[in-house]
Amino acid sequence: MLPSMLFFLSAILLAPFFAALILKVKAFFAGKKGPPLLIQYYTLIKLFQKGSVYSTSTTFIFKLGPVLSFCCALSALMFLPVAGRPALFAFRGDVILVLYLLALGRFFTIAAAMDTASPFQGMGAAREAYFPIICEAAMFLILILLYVLTSNLQIKAFFQGGQPLLLWHKAGSPLMFVVIALFIILLTENARVPVDDPATHLELTMIHEVMVLDHSGPDLAFIELGSFCKLFFYAGLVARLVWPFETGVPALDLLLFFLALLAVYVAVGVMESVMARYRMDKVPKFVLTSFALAFFAVIVTLELAK
Amino acid sequence: MLVFWVGLLLILLGGVLALLLNRNFMWLKLTAVVLTAAGSLTGLGATLSLLNKAAPATISITYLHLLSLSFKIDGLAAFFLICIFGVALPAVIYSFHYMHRAENPLAVALHYLFFSLLIISMALLVSAADSITFMLFWELMSLSSFFLVIHKHESADNRRAGYLYLAFSQVGAMFLLAAFGLIYGHTGTFGLGNLSGLSQSVRLLIFILAVIGFGSKAGVFPLHVWLPQAHPAAPSPVSAVMSGVMIKTGIYGILRMYALLNLNSPVPGGIMLIAGIITGVLGGVYALGQQDLKRLLAYSSMENIGIILIGLGLGMLGVSAGKPIMAAFGFVGGLLHVLNHAAFKSLLFMAAGMVQHSTGTLSMDALGGLLKKMRLTGIAFLMGSLAIAGLPPFNGFISEFLVYFSGFHGTGLPRHGFVLCLLAIVSLAIISGLALAVFTKALGVAFQGEPRSAAARSATEKGWTMLLPMSALAGLCLFIGLMPKAFIQLAVQAAAGLNPAYGGLPLEPFMELIGQISRFSMLFLMLLILLLALRSQLYQGKTVTKAGTWGCGFTRPNTRMQYTGSSFSASILAFFRPLTKLTEDHPVIRGRFPGATHYLSKVNDLAEMYLRPVIVNPVLALFDKLRWIQHGDVHLYIGYILLTIVVLLFFV
Repeated sequence: MLPSMLFFLSAILLAPFFAALILKVKAFFAGKKGPPLLIQYYTLIKLFQKGSVYSTSTTFIFKLGPVLSFCCALSALMFLPVAGRPALFAFRGDVILVLYLLALGRFFTIAAAMDTASPFQGMGAAREAYFPIICEAAMFLILILLYVLTSNLQIKAFFQGGQPLLLWHKAGSPLMFVVIALFIILLTENARVPVDDPATHLELTMIHEVMVLDHSGPDLAFIELGSFCKLFFYAGLVARLVWPFETGVPALDLLLFFLALLAVYVAVGVMESVMARYRMDKVPKFVLTSFALAFFAVIVTLELAK
Repeated sequence: MLVFWVGLLLILLGGVLALLLNRNFMWLKLTAVVLTAAGSLTGLGATLSLLNKAAPATISITYLHLLSLSFKIDGLAAFFLICIFGVALPAVIYSFHYMHRAENPLAVALHYLFFSLLIISMALLVSAADSITFMLFWELMSLSSFFLVIHKHESADNRRAGYLYLAFSQVGAMFLLAAFGLIYGHTGTFGLGNLSGLSQSVRLLIFILAVIGFGSKAGVFPLHVWLPQAHPAAPSPVSAVMSGVMIKTGIYGILRMYALLNLNSPVPGGIMLIAGIITGVLGGVYALGQQDLKRLLAYSSMENIGIILIGLGLGMLGVSAGKPIMAAFGFVGGLLHVLNHAAFKSLLFMAAGMVQHSTGTLSMDALGGLLKKMRLTGIAFLMGSLAIAGLPPFNGFISEFLVYFSGFHGTGLPRHGFVLCLLAIVSLAIISGLALAVFTKALGVAFQGEPRSAAARSATEKGWTMLLPMSALAGLCLFIGLMPKAFIQLAVQAAAGLNPAYGGLPLEPFMELIGQISRFSMLFLMLLILLLALRSQLYQGKTVTKAGTWGCGFTRPNTRMQYTGSSFSASILAFFRPLTKLTEDHPVIRGRFPGATHYLSKVNDLAEMYLRPVIVNPVLALFDKLRWIQHGDVHLYIGYILLTIVVLLFFV
């Protein structure tokens, strides 16, 4: 229990660092020096020290939203086996609970955006309600595949200890699709390029950033920290699949996991540097790719399972 | 059992006394509400006490050897009785302040009479033990709800909605008659005993007829056309009862029939699953396309019926494949969703009724900002939305979770079974995503932001009898979400009678799983409270100011510029394009100084679109051709009767 607690806390503490890494990669591609690696901590501390301005249109939902979505992201992290170690919580069906907790966070992000009466935020909210529908369907397809392989429905059985390696042995080729599909879901759910652009605030084509336009001070800090945690959650899953090996030496394993995690974040950064954001009507097609890949993987696995 | 009858008698007394007291508006309402509420409470108590008995309570009544009625309350009937009384109680209390048309007390008195008849007929039809009793109360239910729908019969739209509903329920009843007729033809009794002696094909035919007949009541696609018409027409407490429990009598019928037929084939499960998937997804999509709050809720009922059917379908599939865990989770998940939906949908209809009561409109694009004016209603609507979107820690999540679990268990089935389960899981994911979009839209457009009309600006919430039931139901939604054990036990008891092949259902797998989830939900709430405390600590001594919403540089925003419900849903609807035909009315803007213009859009329901050309017109054309039979000559009519009897004598 205690090591799990430590891993959970370290995940929260490290999440802003990894998010800053993406900025560094993007700066590298642009030929700039970029912000320091601790930039997100500075931002968070700055935000926590500030006061807030609230729109006269808003209600208690606007204030509840940031805390609740942060709470949901934290709860999701409690189920993540960091570096393949046992998570704080694990029970049958926990993965469904986690997906629905993230949906709860999304509900309140949307509700908080609709609270401001701003047409821009309404636009972002509509998109935030739209794309995850496809993402969730893809996610459940991936779950079906993992269930067929392991006959188990908990995160532990897919991502903890030697389980990822076992998955690769059982169905290596479909798992490649799963990694790509999961990466697309990561990009979509965490509002990254090419679905959304986290760099700018003021454009009609944004999703997540435009929804949090009116938040300020500690509320904004909660939102930011929550989104770092959410990204860490997805990246942690992908990293376990990308680097499934275990050396048996705990310290080395930990190091290798964080290197894999680093690679996932760098990949996100590279994506953001070399790609432009898709036009809004192209985004569903991009997200559907993950659905198609997952579907294909399920079918291939069925053949392998015979 | 006696207490149960006392409860029903009280409810009936409430309706009849209301009619007698129609001179005094206050007294009539008070008598009707108090007696009906007391009766529902008594019924609820009686049902709960019957549950603890080992053998199901039975009773039969014969009147002059003409009419014999028999009743039996087993676990399944008791489960639905709890839903019926549980919704009737808050709904009738709510109606006290809702029914405010003092200028027409007779209409209100009639409303209470039919309301009490509706509750009684539902209660008796789920406890019916033979087909005559069942059909008698089924028809009484259809008729009394028809009169409730046309309560405001001055409006032609409401009358049309009522007739449409009547037509659908009568056609549905004909299919049921055919099903019961087949049973009578093969067994020679009206009793609903075990029918496993019949041949497989006859049993399947009976099941299919029953699914069509009951499906038209439950709102299964494409037999749902009456739902979105009838709900906006009916008064809100009636909508709450109709959507909360009356459509579920269709589910009860299907389950009862399934239990009787004892079909050992994957076909019924497959039928239910496919019907559920289509109904659920289309219900979600069409709900998203609505601009009228009650129409949206009606389509969302369809979506939830889809979830229930998926759960029950998985259960049936599990039974036929010999997978007890899958069967148990499917049935219990589906049944629990019946109860959950009864709680949150009646809550949402009551909130919608409050909105209509205070603003006079249900069009979301004319509302907005209600949360500030109608705080309790808004919070209740928020909680209902969270519950219906299946989000933890509310009750909707628990039942959806159980259904998912059953689906995942089913992925171990061979070929067809696997494909069906895969479809079920993916469509459940899509349905819940759609539900989230539908209810963030309803909440965001109607309750949040700024008011879009004068009516919305001056909205208030009044009437404690309306606020109390809503708050209680909202509390119930959270309570079932946090402590679902007792309710799961009820559902397990109800499901136990369905698959006799396994005897009793195992309770342990549920309890272990659900125990984990409710523990985590508690922890989640504690973490939330902790974070909220942290937040208020962080804001201690800080400057917090109020200002207008940041308009991105635009200095003269007005409330009409907010994102409307139609624009919120436009892109999702475009994704489901072939299913959502959009009718737009938007004149082309001409000239340098264009005059006033307008824009109207409507999402067409496929079933509604094709109902007229495919069914109504051909039927009308056929009857037009048969008009010569009817020419007003009484002699000839008597001749027809004689001829029919003679012809029948040859056959029977």
